[in-house]
Amino acid sequence: MTNITRRHFGIMAGASLSTLGLPILSAPALAQGKPRVVIIGGGPGGATAARYIAKESNGAIDVTLIEPLKTFTTCFFSNLYVGGFRDYKSLTHNYDKVRKGDVKVVHSMAASIDRDKKQVVLAGGGKVPYDRLLVAPGIDIRFDSVPGYSEKAAEVMPHAWKPGAQTQLLVRKLNALKDGDQIVMIAPPNPYRCPPGPYERVSMFAHVLKKKGFKKSRIVILDPKPTFSKQAVFSEGWEKHYPGIIEWQDPKIHGGIKGVDAKTGEVKTDFTNYKPALVNVIPAQHAGKIARDAGLTNQTGYCPIDAASMKSTVDPNIFIVGDASIAGEMPKSAFSANSQAKVAAMVIRAELTKSRAFPARYSNTCWSLIAPDDDVKVGASYEPVDGAIKASSTFVSQRNESADLRKQNYKESVDWYKGITADIFG
Amino acid sequence: MALGLLAPVAQSADVEYGRYLSSECTTCHGASKADSTIPNIHGLGESHIAEVIKAYRTKALPNPVMQTIAARLGDDEIAALAAYFATAKRPK
Repeated sequence: MTNITRRHFGIMAGASLSTLGLPILSAPALAQGKPRVVIIGGGPGGATAARYIAKESNGAIDVTLIEPLKTFTTCFFSNLYVGGFRDYKSLTHNYDKVRKGDVKVVHSMAASIDRDKKQVVLAGGGKVPYDRLLVAPGIDIRFDSVPGYSEKAAEVMPHAWKPGAQTQLLVRKLNALKDGDQIVMIAPPNPYRCPPGPYERVSMFAHVLKKKGFKKSRIVILDPKPTFSKQAVFSEGWEKHYPGIIEWQDPKIHGGIKGVDAKTGEVKTDFTNYKPALVNVIPAQHAGKIARDAGLTNQTGYCPIDAASMKSTVDPNIFIVGDASIAGEMPKSAFSANSQAKVAAMVIRAELTKSRAFPARYSNTCWSLIAPDDDVKVGASYEPVDGAIKASSTFVSQRNESADLRKQNYKESVDWYKGITADIFG
Repeated sequence: MALGLLAPVAQSADVEYGRYLSSECTTCHGASKADSTIPNIHGLGESHIAEVIKAYRTKALPNPVMQTIAARLGDDEIAALAAYFATAKRPK
C-alpha cells in the first residue's frame, strides 16, 4: 500500500507542476521516470498481460495487478473436475511467481475506474494511478435473463459458470444423484464464455451417471440456440458413449424457456414442466461490473476494442482483453484471453517505452472431453481485418476419427493446461 | 547494381520479431516435460525448427493446431522464430 500512496503523490506533484505554469510533462514521465501500467483482474487475460509487460520491459514499466482473490481456480478444465478426471486443487493457482516476475500484486477489489484522473479506486478507498490500464474482469452472470433465476436461486440451481464455490456445489449435487434422477441444463444464448463448455459439461454429467452404473437417469438440455459449438462431434460422441441418455432441445422443440422456480425446483418450457433433481442454469452473461460501470461497454454488454491492439474504442488509455471484450470471431476462452493479452502487452510497451510494435496476431484452440480418452478440438488463427478480429484459418475435429487420435487430443489438452497455466501464472 | 553489392547475401533473421511471435508458441510449449505431447522447442537448432514449422505449413506433419499456426507464417517469420528459439531458454 506504501507504493500506491507514493504513486498517488506522483500524480499530485504532476498537477502542481502544471498549475505553476511549468512545461506539462507527458504522463509516463511524471511517474518518477517509470510509466505505470495497472491491470484489473488476475485471470488468463490479466495475469498474462502483467507478466508479459513486466518481463518484456525489463523493469522499465511499473506493473500492478489488482485481483481480490489470493488463489485463482481456472474455469477452463473445471468440467474435468465435474467428470472426476481432475481434483479441485489441481485447478487452483497462486500469484507467487507473478510477484517474482516483477509485478506488484494487490489483493484488493477494484471498486471503480476514474477515467478522468486515470486512477483505479480500490474497495478500501486506496487509489492506484495509471498511464495505461488493462481491464480483464471476465464475465458477470445476467441472472435476470432466465425468469425466476437469481443469485439466491443459484444456491439451489447452480450456474457454475464462474469458478469456485458454484462449481463445488454442482459437483456435490451431481454426486448425490440416485438412479432415475433427472438433470436439466439451461444452456446460454450467444455470446458467452466457453462456447463448447455446456456440451462438454453435459458429457461429464453423463460420464458420471454411466460410471455409477445408473440405467434410468436422463439429461435434458434446453437450449435457446438452434445450433452449438462442435455439434457434429458432440452428437456423435453422445450417441456412441451415452445412447438415449442426453436429449438436446433447440427452441423449436421446447418452444421457449419460460423460467425456473428455485423453491419448487421446477423448470418450465412452453411445452413441458420439469422437476429434475439437478438443475444447472447457465444464463446470459455480460462484461464484469467494473467495465460496465466505467462506461467501457456498449449495448451488447461487452467492451468494443480496436482489433489491432485490444485498446478500448472509448478510452485510448484503456485496454480490454478476455471474455469482457468484443473480440470479433474469437470465442470467449482462456486461450483467447491469453493470446489477446500478449498483443495488448506488446502495444502498451510500444506506447510507453517506444519499443517496437508488431502486427497483432491471435490464436485459439478449445479442447472438449466427451468421454474418457475421447477428446475433440476446434481452433483458429485470427487477425484484424477491416477493424474486426477475423479467423484466417480454422479447424475442427471430424466425425469418425480414430480412437488413437481422440486419445492423443486428450493428452494434448492435459499438456496444454500445464503450458498455459505456466504462461499465465508463471 | 550498387545496391546489390551492398546488400548482405542473406538477410539476417529478425530475432526481436521472433521473440514477439514466440509468445504464440509459449502458450503451449512453455512448460513441456520429457513425456509431453507438446515438446520443448527452446534451444533447438535453428534449421531444425524452421524445417519442422515448414513441414506443418505444407501439412506434411499432422496436427491441425500446428498446421493452423504454421499456415500464416511467412518464410521471414519462420526464420525469425527459428533464430529466436535457437538461443531461447525455457521460461522458469
